[in-house]
Amino acid sequence: MSTLIVVLPFIPAAVAALIAAFGWNLTTAWCAPAACWSVGGVGMVLAVRVLDEGPVNAFGGQLRVDALSALMIIFIGVVGSVSAVYGVAYIRTELGNGATTSRRAKLYGVLMQLTIAAMLVVVVADNLGVLWVAIETTTIATVLLVGHRRDRTSVEASWKYLVLGSVGVATALLGTVLVYFVARHSGIDASSALRWSSLVDKAHGLDPGAFRVAIGFVVVGYGTKAGLAPVHSWIPDAYSQAPAPAAALMAGVLSAMSMYALLRLKVLADITLGPGFVRTLLIVAALLSLLAAASLMATQRDYKRLLAYSSVEHMGLVALAAAIGSPLAISAALLHLIGHGLAKSVAFCSSGELLFVTGTTRIDGVRGLLHRRPFIGAMFGLSWLALLAVPPFSIFASELAIVRSGIADRLVWAIAIAVVLLLVIFGSVVVHGLDMLTGGGHSADDSSLIAHAGSVTAGLALVGGLVIAAAVGVTIWPFSRLLHTAAEVLAR
Amino acid sequence: MSLTGTAVALLQVVLTVGAAPLLIGIMRLIRARLEGRVGPPILQPWRDLRKLLGKQRMVSDNTGWVFSVAPLVLLASAALVAGIVPFLSTQSALDQVGDLFAVVYLLLLGTVFLSLAGLDTGTAFGGMGASRSMTITAIAEPTVLVAIFALSVSTGSSNLGAIVATTLAHPATAASPESLLAFAALAVVTIAETGRIPVDNPNTHLELTMIHEAMVLEYSGPDLALIELAAHLRLVVFLGLLSNLFIPWGIATTARPLELLAAAAAVAVKILALASVIAVVEVFTAKVRLFRVPELLAASFVLAFLAVTASFFLA
Amino acid sequence: MSETTFVQLLDLAAGLVLVISFASLWLRRLVTVTRMIAIQGVALAAVAAVIGFYEHESELVAVAVLVCVLRAYVLPALIRRAVLAGSEHREVESIINVPASLLAASALTLVAYAATRDVVALSSAPQVRAIPLGVSVVLIGMLMIVTRRKAVLQMMGVLMIDNGIALVMFLGTSGVPLVIELGVASDVLLAVFILQVLTNRIRNKFGDTDLDQLRALRD
Repeated sequence: MSTLIVVLPFIPAAVAALIAAFGWNLTTAWCAPAACWSVGGVGMVLAVRVLDEGPVNAFGGQLRVDALSALMIIFIGVVGSVSAVYGVAYIRTELGNGATTSRRAKLYGVLMQLTIAAMLVVVVADNLGVLWVAIETTTIATVLLVGHRRDRTSVEASWKYLVLGSVGVATALLGTVLVYFVARHSGIDASSALRWSSLVDKAHGLDPGAFRVAIGFVVVGYGTKAGLAPVHSWIPDAYSQAPAPAAALMAGVLSAMSMYALLRLKVLADITLGPGFVRTLLIVAALLSLLAAASLMATQRDYKRLLAYSSVEHMGLVALAAAIGSPLAISAALLHLIGHGLAKSVAFCSSGELLFVTGTTRIDGVRGLLHRRPFIGAMFGLSWLALLAVPPFSIFASELAIVRSGIADRLVWAIAIAVVLLLVIFGSVVVHGLDMLTGGGHSADDSSLIAHAGSVTAGLALVGGLVIAAAVGVTIWPFSRLLHTAAEVLAR
Repeated sequence: MSLTGTAVALLQVVLTVGAAPLLIGIMRLIRARLEGRVGPPILQPWRDLRKLLGKQRMVSDNTGWVFSVAPLVLLASAALVAGIVPFLSTQSALDQVGDLFAVVYLLLLGTVFLSLAGLDTGTAFGGMGASRSMTITAIAEPTVLVAIFALSVSTGSSNLGAIVATTLAHPATAASPESLLAFAALAVVTIAETGRIPVDNPNTHLELTMIHEAMVLEYSGPDLALIELAAHLRLVVFLGLLSNLFIPWGIATTARPLELLAAAAAVAVKILALASVIAVVEVFTAKVRLFRVPELLAASFVLAFLAVTASFFLA
Repeated sequence: MSETTFVQLLDLAAGLVLVISFASLWLRRLVTVTRMIAIQGVALAAVAAVIGFYEHESELVAVAVLVCVLRAYVLPALIRRAVLAGSEHREVESIINVPASLLAASALTLVAYAATRDVVALSSAPQVRAIPLGVSVVLIGMLMIVTRRKAVLQMMGVLMIDNGIALVMFLGTSGVPLVIELGVASDVLLAVFILQVLTNRIRNKFGDTDLDQLRALRD
C-alpha cells in the first residue's frame, strides 16, 4: 500500500514524460485524462484502506496518507479530469485555428501533468518542507501555462503571477523555517521537527509566542497563494490569461492545495495557540476577500475575470469555514472546495468554448447566447448557477452548513456580513449573466459569431463535471464517511 | 579641574591650531602631486593666513552684528571642542563637559552662525550657501547623534573619555558591526560637515555648486583668516574624533609628559593617514550633484540607525 | 575558534547581508545593484561557513559552498544577463526616491525586530539573536519589489527575499534537512530562471522592461 503512495505522483509525471517524448497527439492527449482517472482510482483504494486501518506511511515517513489526503487525492483526480478531458478538445481547436503550435501544445501537456504531480506531492507529503517545495513547484509550472499564448497580456499576467506568487510562497517558507526553529528549540529532533503527524502530537510543548510568529507568516504566505484578499490581485490576471483548461485546473484544484496547507497548519496552531489567533487572521482575510469580490464583480467587464473574482469569493468562504473550525464547518469547507472545484472547472472550460465562438472575453461582446449557441449557453449558465449556490449543486449544501455552523459558533456578525456580500455578488452575476445569455443588442447579430464546431469531447467534460457537481449536491453517500473522517483530522 | 588636565587641554588647543593649516597644506600637496602638479609648499596655508591678517577689515554697511560675531564664534567653538576631545589623554580637564552631545552641539553652533552670517549679508550667494548648508546639516546632525548614541549604548555613557577607555579595554568591540556602521556614518558626515568632495569642493567658486565658499564670500581680511583657520581646525577635530573614537590605540591614559608626547605622535599619524585617504579619494571622485547629496546623507543616517539597532539587539 | 571570535565573525557576516540590502536600495546603476546581490550571496555563504566551522558540522560547510556557487555566482549571472540584454538606460527607476526608500527600509528593520521578539526570546545563542536581520532582509526585498519599476529589480527583490530566508535558516537551526535545502535551492533557481525568460519576453513584446507598461490588465 505504501508503494502505491510513492507511485502516485509518478502517474502524471510518467504521462508528462510521454508527452515530452512523443509530442501532443491523439494518444498522448488522452493519456492526460487517463492519468487523472487512475489517480482518482488509486485515491479510492487508499481511502478504503485508510478508513479501515488508519493512516498509511511511506518513504521513511516523509509521505503519509490519512483520510484527508485520500479525499484530496480523489478530488485532484475527479476535478482534474474535467480540465484534462476538455484540454484534449481545447488544444485540438487551438491547433486547428492556428492559435498555438505543436511545440507549445507539447509544453502545455507536460506542464499540466507536472502541476498535477506536484499537487499530489502536496497532499501526500507529511513533511512541511516537502509540502512547501511542492507548492512552489506548482507555481513555477503554472506560470508558463499562464504565458501559453505569449502575447502582451499573457506575458504581463505571468510576470505578475510569478513575482507575487514567489513572494507569497516565500513568506510561507519563512514561516515553515520558523516552525522548524520553534520545534527544534522545543526539543523535537531534526527528523521529525517538520513532520506534521509528529508535530500534532507534540504541539502542546511548543513555545506559543514564537509559534505565533511562524504561523502568521505561513497564513499570509499560503493565503496569498490561495488568492485570499488583500493579496488577490494576481488571481484575475493569471486566471483570465491562462488557457481555459489550465485556468480550470488552477482555479478548481490548485487554489484548494494552498487552502489544504492552511488547514493542516491551522491544526497545529490551534493546539499550540488556542483557536483565537488563526481564526482572527482567517476571518479578516475571508471578509476582505468577499468584499473585494463583491465590489469588483459588479463593475466587471470581462467574463473570465468575473470567474476569477468568483474564485476569490469562494476561497474567502472556505477561509470563513476554516475560521469557524467546528467539525460541521470543516466538513462544509472540504465539501465547498470540491463543489467549487467542479463548478469552476466547468465554468472556465465553457468560457473557453465561449471565447472560441465569440472571439472576445468582454461581457458586452456576448449577447443572446442561449438562442444562438444553446449548448454552450446552457453549460455556462448552469455552472454559474452552481457557483451561486443554487440547489441541487453541492455549493448550496456547503454554504448552508457554513452559515449554520457560524451561527452555532456565535460568529453571527461575520456570517451576516458574508451573507450580505454574497447577495451583492448574486445580484451582479445575475445581471451580467442575463445580459450574456438572453440580452439583445448589436452583438446579438448572428454574423458576429465565429464558426466553431463544438466537439463531443468538450461536451463530455462539461456535462460530466456538472453531473458530478449536482450528484455531490444531492448526496455524498459513498463518500460521507471519508468526508467526516477527513474533517475529524482537522477539527479536533 | 586638575592642573595637569588644564595643561593637557591647553596643549591640545595649541597643537591642533598650529597643526591644522599644516594638515591642509599636506592634503593640497598630495592632491597636487597626484594630479601631476608641483603644488604649493606645505606652509602655504599659514602664509595665506598671515597675509589675510595683515589686511584691512572691510565690512558691508548692510550687515548686522551676526556678521561680525560669526567668525569669532566659529573659531571659539572649534577651539573649545579641540580642548575637550580626548586627543592626547583620556584624563580630560573638562571631563564633565567632555560629552559627545556637547561636542556635537558646539560644532553645530559654529555651523549655524556661519549660515546666519551668510544670510546676514543679504546677497544672493550668501543666502544660497546658507540654505544649502542648512539642508546638509539638517540631515547630518541627526546622523551624528544617532551614531553617537550607538557608541554610547555599549559603554553606557556618552562621555568621550569613557567611550575611548571602553574601546581600549575591549579591543574586540572596535570591529563589532555597530562600531563599523557608526564609523561609516560618521565618516560620511565628516566629509559633509567639513565641506570636502564629494559633498562640497573647497577649491571652487562656481556658483552652481559651492556651499561653504558661498557663505564666506563677503568676508575679507582678518575675518576671513579666522574663518579659514576655523574651517581647518574643524577638519582636524572631526578627523581626530573619528580616529580616537574607533581606533584609540596610542592615546595616553595618564598625563605624564612622555606618554603625552607618544600620544601626540600617534594621533598625528592617525589624522595624517585619514587626511591622506581623503585627499587621494578626492582626486579620483567627482563632486556629486547637489540634489544627490541628501541621498548620500540619508545613507549615512541609515548606517547610523543600523548601528543603533545592532548595538541594542546584537549585544 | 573561540566564542568571541565566532560571535564577532557571525555578527559581521550577518550584518553585511543586511547592509548590502540597504546598499542595493541606495545604488543607482543596475549592474552595481546586481553586484551587490552577488556579494550578499558571499556574505550569506560566510554565515553558513562560520557556523559550520564553529559547530564542526561538515554538512553545513558543504552547504556554504553550494550557497556560494548558487547565490553568489549562478543566480546573479542570470540576473546580469537580463540586465545586460536591455539596451535601454540602465538606471534604477522607483516610485519613491532613494532617501524615502532608505527610511522605509529602516522602519522595516524595526518592524522585523518587533515581530521576531518572541522568536529571539527562545534562545540566548548569538545566532538566534541575529535572526531579525534575516527577517529585515526579507522585508526589504519585498519593499524593493513593491517600489521598483524595472523587471530586473523585481527579480533581484525575489532573490533578496530568498537570501533573507536562507539567513534565517542558517541562524535559527543551522540549516534545514538537506533534502529540503536542495528542494528550496532548485525551486529558487527555476523561479529566477523563468523570471529571466519572462524579462526577455517582456522586452520582446514591449521593447523595454519598464513595468509601468504592464497595465493592460486592470479593473
